[in-house]
This record gives sequence, C-alpha cells and structure tokens, in this order.
Amino acid sequence: MTIATPSLISESGYWHRFQGSFARFWRPVRRQRKALAGLGIVCLFVLVAVFAPALAPYSPTEQNFADAMQGPSWKHWMGTDSYGQDILSRTFYGARSALWIGFASVSLGLLVGVAVGLLAGLRGGRIEWALMRAVDGLLAFPELIMAMAFMAVLGLGMNNVILALALSFVGPFARTVRADVLQVKARPFIEAARLMDVPEREIILRHVLPNIASPILIQAGMRISIAILLASGLSFLGLGVVPPTPDWGLMIAEGRGFISMAPWMAGMPGLALATLLIGLNLLAEGLRDALDPRTRGEHS
Amino acid sequence: MKAPMLHVKNLTLRRKGVAVLDDVSISLPTGQTLALIGESGAGKSTLAFAAMGLVRPPEVELQGRLMVGDTDIVTAQERTLRQLRGARMGMIFQDASAALNPCFTVLEHLAEPLRRHQHLRKDECMNRAVELLASVGIADPEARLKAYPHELSGGMQQRVMIAIALACEPQLLIADEPTSALDVTIQAQIMSLLLGRVRALGASAIFVLHDLALATQVADRVAVMYAGQIVEEGPAAEVLNHPRHPYTRGLRASAIEFDAERLSPIAGVVPSLSAMPPGCRFAPRCAQATTQCSTHKPSFAAIGNVGVSCWNP
Amino acid sequence: MKVAANSLELRASRLWQSLGAVAQTALVLLVVSGISFLFLKLSPGDPVALMLGSDFSRDSYDQLYRNLGLDRPWLQQYFHWLSRFVLGEWGSSYVSKQDIFELAVLQALPVTLTLAALSLLVALAVGIPLGVLAAIKRNSWMDILASAIAIGGNAFPSFYLGVVLIWIFSVAFGWFPSMGYVSPWSDPLGGLWHLALPALTLGAWYVGLIATVTRSSLLEVLEQPYMAAARARGEPEWRVIWVHGMRNVLMPLVTIIGLQLGGMLRGAVMTEVVFTLPGLGMMITNAVQTREYLVVQAGIMITALLFIAVNLLVDRTYTILDPRLRKK
Repeated sequence: MTIATPSLISESGYWHRFQGSFARFWRPVRRQRKALAGLGIVCLFVLVAVFAPALAPYSPTEQNFADAMQGPSWKHWMGTDSYGQDILSRTFYGARSALWIGFASVSLGLLVGVAVGLLAGLRGGRIEWALMRAVDGLLAFPELIMAMAFMAVLGLGMNNVILALALSFVGPFARTVRADVLQVKARPFIEAARLMDVPEREIILRHVLPNIASPILIQAGMRISIAILLASGLSFLGLGVVPPTPDWGLMIAEGRGFISMAPWMAGMPGLALATLLIGLNLLAEGLRDALDPRTRGEHS
Repeated sequence: MKAPMLHVKNLTLRRKGVAVLDDVSISLPTGQTLALIGESGAGKSTLAFAAMGLVRPPEVELQGRLMVGDTDIVTAQERTLRQLRGARMGMIFQDASAALNPCFTVLEHLAEPLRRHQHLRKDECMNRAVELLASVGIADPEARLKAYPHELSGGMQQRVMIAIALACEPQLLIADEPTSALDVTIQAQIMSLLLGRVRALGASAIFVLHDLALATQVADRVAVMYAGQIVEEGPAAEVLNHPRHPYTRGLRASAIEFDAERLSPIAGVVPSLSAMPPGCRFAPRCAQATTQCSTHKPSFAAIGNVGVSCWNP
Repeated sequence: MKVAANSLELRASRLWQSLGAVAQTALVLLVVSGISFLFLKLSPGDPVALMLGSDFSRDSYDQLYRNLGLDRPWLQQYFHWLSRFVLGEWGSSYVSKQDIFELAVLQALPVTLTLAALSLLVALAVGIPLGVLAAIKRNSWMDILASAIAIGGNAFPSFYLGVVLIWIFSVAFGWFPSMGYVSPWSDPLGGLWHLALPALTLGAWYVGLIATVTRSSLLEVLEQPYMAAARARGEPEWRVIWVHGMRNVLMPLVTIIGLQLGGMLRGAVMTEVVFTLPGLGMMITNAVQTREYLVVQAGIMITALLFIAVNLLVDRTYTILDPRLRKK
C-alpha cells in the first residue's frame, strides 16, 4: 500500500518500523476470511449508525396512524409498527443506540476494571486478596441478572443501561487484567527495572501497560457483542431503554405482541441485531485466530 | 518351506499424489526379525503402519501386494483387517506415554484386546492380565492393574504396551522405534525383554529403528530405506558389516559407535518427496554417481544373499 | 516409580486444602450476601411506607421503622437479615402477600431448573454429533455447515429466536403452544409439549458452543497416538471415536458448559419472558417492574447461589473425568 509521506519521515527508521509492524499485523488478518467478513459487516453497521439521519427516509419517531401495521411496501421498505412509525428508519437509528451502548459500556467497564486489576496485581498482599474476593463475589452473579438489579436501583434509560452494563463488566475485566499483570510481573525485565530504581509509575506506564494492552483490547472487543446482546435483552424485558427511543430490543418486544398480525415488526430489527452480532463474533474469532501463533498462516 | 510372514511386492503408496513408498519389495520368513533402518521420512514407519493395514484408501493410494500371512492387506476388507489387528498382528509405538489413553487404567487397556479377540470373561481377563504383566517383568502386577498411565514410569509404560501388543499372542509384532523415547539405561532392558518375548512366542517381528548398532544386535535381517525405497536388504551381519550400497556405507561411517576416529556425515539432504530426481534417488549425494545413476532408476539385484539397488555397488 | 510421601503429612495437607476450598466458598458466599444486602439498601422506595399502605400516621411509621430495625447500624441490619435469610424467612411480597421463599424456591426455581436441564439435553443431543461429524469430515461441506450452525446459534439472541420460533411453529403451523407452563413431572406429555419451543430456543444457543468445542477437542484428540494404538488393537472405528476419543473430549466440554453457565442463565431469563414461563427470570423481571425489591433480592441471591453450586459441581467432575488431576 502506498501512502505519500514527507521524505524526512519516510527515511527515518521509525516509519519503516511502523510500516513493518502494521504490515505484520495486517497480513495474517488479511488472510482470514472470517475476520474480513466480520469486519465488513461491522463497518456496514457503523456507517449506517453514523449516517442514519441522512440514510433514514423518515424520522424514527414520526407517527402516522393511518399507515400503521403495514407490511413492507415501496413507501415503507420494512413496514410500519403499531404507531405508524417507519421500521426501516427505526432500525437504522437502532444501530446507533446499540453501537453506542456497546462501545460506551465496554469502555467504562474497561477503565474501572483495568484500574482494579492493576491495583490488585501490582500491589499484591492484602489489597489484592480483598479486591479479588470482592471480584469473586461480583462474578457469582450472572451478568444479565446483575444488570437487571442495577437497573432496579438506578432506574430506566439509556445512560443507566450504560452504567449498569459497565458495572457488570468490571468483574470479568478486573480478573483478566490481574491475571495478565501477574504474568507480566513475573518476567525478568520488570525485576531488572525495579533493581535499577526506576520509579513505580514509570514501570507501570512504560513496561506493564503496553504488555497487557493487546490481550485486554481483544477481550474488550469481544465484550462489545455481549454488551449489545445484554442491552437489547434489557430493553426487551422493559428494563432498559425507554420508548420511544428506537432500540432493537424494544422493537422486538413491541413486535412480539403483534406477531401473528405483523411479523415484520419484530422480524426486521431482530435480523439486524442478529447480523450485527454475527459480524462482531466473526470479527472477534477471526482476529483471535489471526493473532494466535498456532493458527497464523493457516487459511480459515 | 513355510510361507513368509510378510511378503511385499512392488508396493507403491501415494499420499496426495506423492509416492511415499516407491516400488518396495521385501520378504520376511516366519520366526525371523527384520529391522527397517533409515533416516526420518524414509518411509520406514509408513511401511510398518501399512503392514498393519492402518494406512488405507481413501487417504492414500495403494498399488502392489502386501501379504501378511495369507491376507493381502491392499485388497482386504476393513472387517478382515480388524480381526487381524491385535490378534495376529500387534504393534508397539514409540512414545508409550502418548500411546496409552490417559483416561483408562492398565487393566482396561489389557482387557480390550482380550475381550474382543479372545472373548474372555471379566475374571478370566483379570487373571490373564496379571499373567501378561508378570511376563513383561512388572513387579506386583495386581497392584498395577488399577494404575493410570501417568502414574507409571516411562519404562513401565513401555512394558505395559508390550504386554498389550502380545496379549493375544500375535504371529507378527511391529515395533516402531520402541526404545528411542526411553532413558539409555533402560533401553537395553526393554529391548532384550521384547526380543525374549517374541522368540518365546515363535513370532516374527519388524523393528523400525534408526540405530545401526541396535539393529545388528536384534535383527536377523536388515532392510535399509532411503526416500521411500529399499536400497539394500539382507541378513543383518552381511548388510551391516559389508555394506554394498553407498548410502549404507555412508550410514555405517557416520555412526559414532562404529568408527570413533572421525565423524563423517553424508553430504547433502534428502530431497523432498514431491521433487524426486529421476534415476537413483541417492545419486545427488553419492560420491560414486555416474551419468547412468542420474538418469536411470537402478534395479534391485542380488549380490550373494543381499539385495542391492545400485548401479555400482 | 513415585515415592509415597509421609502418609500423615499427606493427609494433613489434603485436609488443609479441602478446608481452604470450603473457606473460600464460604467467603464468596459472604460477599454475595453482602452485595445482595447492599442492593436492597440502595434500592429506591420506602419499604415502611409500602408496607403500611396508603394511610398511616407518623407514629405508626416510626413504630414500624423501629420494629423493622431500620434505625440500627447497617452492619447489624446485615447480620439480622442474613440470619433470617439462612432460615428461609425471606419476607412476603407487597402485592400478593405470598411468602417469597415459597414463591422463589418452591415455585420459580424448579421451573427454571427444568427448562435449563431440558435445554442442555437438547443441546448435547444435537451439538455433540454435530461436532463429531465436523471433526471427522474436516473441511468438507458438513464441517462448514456445522460451523455455520454453531456461529448462527451463538449469535441469535435467545429472545429473538424465541419470537421467531413462535412465529414459525405456533402461529404459522400451530404445532406448539406459545406460552404457559405445565410441569413435566406431573404431566410428561403436556409438559414436554409446552417446553418444546422454549427448550429449543435456549438449547440453540448452547448447541453452537458445544459443537465448536467438541469439534476442536476431537480434532486434537484424533491426532493422538493412543487413537492409532486403539485401531492397532483391532477396535472398530466407531469405538475408537466414541469410547477412546470422546472420553478425552469430555473434560473440555464440561469446562465450557460450566464456564458458560452465566450465558445459559441469561438465556433462561429471556426465554421465560418470551414464553411466559413462571421461572426465576420471569419472577425477577416482574419484580423489578413492580418495584418488589425483596423479591428481586431473593432472585439475585438464588441465582448467585445456583451459580456457585454448579461451579463447585463442575470442579468435582473434573477429577472424575481426568485421572491425571486426581491426587495420589
């Protein structure tokens, strides 16, 4: 791939090293058909989400009772729901809320989880013991149940959903981060740095973090599909986003009541949700296969 | 004269179009032991597995004849082969710790062929199992029956494997590098045990080995393989003390035990099976190669009681 | 030959280890109960006002407040609650006045367990053969089909799949009911008829997982020498795969089933709501919507306890399945 670069940068070793490492990352990914298919699907959804206002033919909350409960037609490509709202537009906007919730909750949970895991892993001793026992307790609750409980305490709404999910993710992230930190801590170069009186903060920033970054990020990526699944589930149960916000879970719940008369009400957003989840799973699996030294170089 | 135990004639085995065994012919009279010698990838293990009928279509193509006793492995039905395996033919694998199923006890391993081929009842199995373990030199056999493979030492695992292979008193035993995974100190013990049991049963045996000295000690006959072909074959003492084929001579020279003054490895590497040179396969590495060697495949000719595949033995 | 350690030392250390495991579990239980208690204290709403109903005086409010022990320090309240919880006194629902213990443990829990067990059976019955097939006929069209089913089953959210199944089998074909629960223990045929679609929905998610794990483990196992050794003893191929091979696949399979239990519980909650089955999921969902926090708390405690119990069970099965893990 050719990129025009100022000559100074391109001649320095830095650029070549950067190109080399990116290429080394890209090559095995490129060969994995799974990852590429997943990436394609996810990108499609991201684009739809970002450009929803431009792409959607109607406003997602525009009600039109005259046209309510119509099947797919030229006027409404995916039909209308019981309020006369255009399902296609609502599905597009639903992608927005799904992706936003997924991304935000995972990021938030990641931040807190990494902090806790780092603290536990680096400090060790009683702090680690106490933190890990707390995490064990948190992890004993299935994620959905815990999210439901949080929603009960916090109340409904998109921001609360993000918060509730983020809190549910702290446990798993903390545990993984701590395990990774322990692994890195055991490596000789950390001890060497300590012996050389390198300040603790620098050890963390320059040595520990970069080494745990990639497995953590991969895990975070895989969490996004779980987050979207949970968020839709919460909305489906009536414990998540509030109407009339366009959300796939909400739409499926509404459509369920009318399943015999208007199957497209639940069918369409459900297909969108399933496709996005498949795409995310393919991407995650493909990435994992691509970066796993054992399967590198194999065709999927 | 009794029919030979193993009789291979013009056997060619192709895997994905590549000839892993090329026009192999060899015979082993009953009651004798044969050692297959060669480098890794020469096809010795493949030949051994093929003799058991474990390498079959559709994964591979087989041409020629491969007779074990009076059964032609190439054309036989799977059902027939299954009856032979474990009953008339037994196999010992290289790594005993991996060849024993970690989830099953020693007794369960031994009982399997006993129940299948000899239809023994549970108590008969137990007695016979104890007998077998004792015959391979395991002390306190009753206690060992309940043990799992990972609880036994390497030597003991191999003894158990020998007991399993010989459980139904087979007429042909095939041993794929039976001692290479063991400590040097135990190798001699296990080998002599194996030989002793084989001779006691009056069975024939095929040993796949890469150790020349060991081959002299255990085998009646020796066949040297290179790149899927048999290049020299005959009585052990003859082949190893007076090698005719340049490759055999090279092997003998590069073996440390024989000539301790100098290490003289054979130059070059084995060509890849899919890119074999025409003519003699050893020609590119042979010091005495002629133009005929590079273009024409040598025929297998007898010199005295040794068969050699070479234009200039 | 392994040298036997001093027998007394060995027994002492094993006792210490099992004591440690018990202590650890007890600790986790304590933390779980603490979190549940915290949940109750943090939830909005005034339990005293709820219990008194619409009309009450300041005095009766204060009296009930003190009776319930709400003026004591939180730690004391916690122990008080915990002691009552352990005895099964979980309080009663504000709305239906039903005893919560009766509602949760005697009514809702069996429903959820029945659904989960049935779904697991379905998933195993479909997933294992699928995985085995995919492993044996590697890279053939069967392998790809099996992988596709696996990915699909895993990605389709349970609630969506349930709705789709209802549409196909209940509305369009009319073969199965779309809601309601009949206990299979009292009425096997009716029970199974009602549970057919839910079990399929919940099982579908697991099928993909089981098939994938079976396939990859079996692929590894097929390479092992002990498989060839079994064939060399004259064992027929089906025995080689199902007895010698699958025995070694059981461990990773049980591991994954145990690990993914959280996912199954999540699916169970959704499935129960879609099909209106009166299980734990339905109970908790209704309770959150009607602000019955006592019921919600009971619900989360039960699910956590269930989770921990099953994890312990899975740990125990490890040692049975893999002799290498047993201590000598």
